[in-house]
Amino acid sequence: MSETPIWRRDFPYTSAGEEGVTRREFTRFLMAASVAAAGSGGLMAIWAQLRPINTGEARPVAELAEIPIGGSHLFQYPTDRDPAILLRLAEDEMVAFSQKCTHLGCVVFWNPEDTVLECPCHEGFFNLEGRPIAGPPERPLGRIELEVRDGTVWALGAREGMT
Amino acid sequence: MRRVRRTQVATAVMVYVILLLGLQLFLLAVAAEAFLASEPGLAWGATAISTVLAAGTVGFYLYFRRA
Repeated sequence: MSETPIWRRDFPYTSAGEEGVTRREFTRFLMAASVAAAGSGGLMAIWAQLRPINTGEARPVAELAEIPIGGSHLFQYPTDRDPAILLRLAEDEMVAFSQKCTHLGCVVFWNPEDTVLECPCHEGFFNLEGRPIAGPPERPLGRIELEVRDGTVWALGAREGMT
Repeated sequence: MRRVRRTQVATAVMVYVILLLGLQLFLLAVAAEAFLASEPGLAWGATAISTVLAAGTVGFYLYFRRA
């Protein structure tokens, strides 16, 4: 007479694989995960190589007279879904950046008191060149080239970090 | 005796494969970061190393099957 455990009598249900996973099966699973990881990296590399980067076309984004010195102006560039910020640092000195934080994509804002661009999500800070100076971001903000034409500020194109 | 050795080989192979997979996960994070930064060169480098590690994993598994 076979000894049936008490728990088996109380719970007489079985399922496939309940005997456990052997080392060989587990190693096979790990091998598949390993190949999948390499393949995923390859797909990302191919995607990064082939995807087009929209650097935008030249278009007016603001009237110079409407932006006070030391102030900022929000606009969208290169598409209507890409928030950007323009900073007027001096009479004839302006810079513009993508507002997407390069950490996790939160919107950065201009902090005139500390003269930094600040990401409120994880306390990321960028200087006036768009370089990260504190917090988790490690890549610079996307920079937008500007030009003033007859009192109007034009965005000419985006570079560095614009995706 | 042979059974004990086989168990030891199985465990050793499993540990090696887990270590390699851990490295690959790190490389996958590197590739993802490179993708977000639009730096395909870095993504390709991480993928190349990851592929070598994957080949090592497959090699370990094949050795395990023969052992």
